[in-house]
Amino acid sequence: MNPALLEVKDLSIHFGGLRAVDGVNFAVNRGEILGLLGPNGAGKTVTFNLISGVYKPTSGEIWFDGKRINGLPSYAIAALGLGRTFQIVKPFSTLTVLENVLVARGITRYPAPSCLWTSWKSRQEAQAAMALLDRVGLADLAQRKAGLLPLGNLRRLEIARALAVGHKLLLLDESFSGLRHEEISQLEALIRTIQQAGITVLLIEHNMRVSMALCDRIVVMEYGKKLAEGTPAVIQQDEQVIEAYLGRKGESDAS
Amino acid sequence: MSSYAITILTLIVIQAIVVCGLNVIVGYAGQISLGHAAFFGIGAYSAALLSTRGGLSFWIALPLVLIISALTGLLLGLPSLRLKHDFLAITTIGINFIVQAIFLYVPFFGGALGISGIPRIQVFGEALKGAHFLYLCLFFLGVVMAICWLFTRVFAGLACFALREEEAAATSMGISPVRFKLLAFMLGTVFAGLGGALYAHYMRFVSADDFSFPLSVSFLAMLVLGGMGSLLGPLVGALILGALPELFRPLAEFRILFYALMLLLMIRFQPGGILGESSLIRKRLFPLFLRRQP
Ligand SMILES: Nc1ncnc2c1ncn2[C@@H]1O[C@H](COP(=O)(O)OP(=O)(O)OP(=O)(O)O)[C@@H](O)[C@H]1O
Ligand SMILES: [Mg+2]
Repeated sequence: MNPALLEVKDLSIHFGGLRAVDGVNFAVNRGEILGLLGPNGAGKTVTFNLISGVYKPTSGEIWFDGKRINGLPSYAIAALGLGRTFQIVKPFSTLTVLENVLVARGITRYPAPSCLWTSWKSRQEAQAAMALLDRVGLADLAQRKAGLLPLGNLRRLEIARALAVGHKLLLLDESFSGLRHEEISQLEALIRTIQQAGITVLLIEHNMRVSMALCDRIVVMEYGKKLAEGTPAVIQQDEQVIEAYLGRKGESDAS
Repeated sequence: MSSYAITILTLIVIQAIVVCGLNVIVGYAGQISLGHAAFFGIGAYSAALLSTRGGLSFWIALPLVLIISALTGLLLGLPSLRLKHDFLAITTIGINFIVQAIFLYVPFFGGALGISGIPRIQVFGEALKGAHFLYLCLFFLGVVMAICWLFTRVFAGLACFALREEEAAATSMGISPVRFKLLAFMLGTVFAGLGGALYAHYMRFVSADDFSFPLSVSFLAMLVLGGMGSLLGPLVGALILGALPELFRPLAEFRILFYALMLLLMIRFQPGGILGESSLIRKRLFPLFLRRQP
């Protein structure tokens, strides 16, 4: 079996004259946590949107679990076992926290006609969704309207929903940003248990301490291009990376 | 009950059926439709033509009417659901005007004279009129509301809610926007078509004027007043706006102005409808009756 679960080959997307992602290559191996780092505007979120099918690449290929997925619609890519969160959280605001997770639990139902007669109000569904909420520490808030939650809880809700979808790969876009100190260490622990459960994780993170501690390998982007790739130890020593970050230190601290 | 009251109630129940359909499209799936009267009209004309020129009984024609409604819903929904917000609103208004123009100018649909001589509905050999026809309409309203209730409890309905709330997130959870919006659109147009068929057999005459854009506005006004996305909302809205004009007949000329104004005010101040979660009536009036013991 190919060790890479996700492979991005020569991937590019141009918005008018802007090359938001420009000839990027990298692979995410099965079972690893790969960090995608880079200064603001480097093209990290756009890369996520390309992988998850929100945008179609201008050129290049994306392979997921032995299948070429670029060109597939978002919902079809999700159905292959790829879950994601959004940097700007997108809760289903008038639904409860539990219902938010139930929507994601429907992933296997939506393609089949049986979604017309299968109830989402069954006890098994509720139990399965509660188990996910329990994992991210939101079980107490299950009946709360999602729109009323503070950002930290919404980030965890996003992860619970992504977990229901992504039984192979999770894309986490700045899940740590806006969290309090103790929430950060809880989330680190959660991501480790996700990895132990056999799920591969690709995450975008600005917090250096967190990404260095959590990631097996790191890919650094700048101006749409890949700047460096390697283990945290190697990345920390990389001249170009240090320059890219030190040059913009004030900026990335502000974000 | 006086026959006058029965007439008003029958029309209210028919409108409630149609507004239930609009609720699936607007309330559940979050799509704007300002052309719902067109689908009401398509149901009415299909039933009228099948029963007069086609010589079919209501019961045999009904499945055909519903299929025609679903197919036109699919046909007209497919291009329009690729649009969003204002574009969708304008497109659905356009659909209303085009469908009405077709009824008016294509000779097959009877032109300006419309279609008359539509037979009464027969049940066990008896022609339904008056209160009996009202019961039949209530029966269908019950069926429609039961289907709506079931729809909110199955994954397809949940998918529609998710699309309404946050389309990008819903899509990342395996929900095809086109498929589920179309499903909601078809269900909504089928209910409109059912209401249209009942209307045709009740009035026993249809003409293009009966399905104009202002009627679409009043359907939407009923839905917004009663509460978008709620089960009882369409009935509440149809009851209030169906009865009001009868009480204020002299003001009938200003009805559409009133509806439009009410729509704006409701959406601005009471988006959940008059019985919705944050409505004044719930907050101020209900506590008077439900005062808790200290
Ligand atoms: N839909 C779009 N149309 C045009 N330009 C876009 C679009 N989406 C992103 N961009 C641009 O592409 C560039 C990369 O954006 P991206 O969101 O990927 O940055 P990022 O690396 O995620 O940064 P941050 O750390 O601030 O989230 C930016 O210049 C952004 O303005
Ligand atoms: Mg980003």
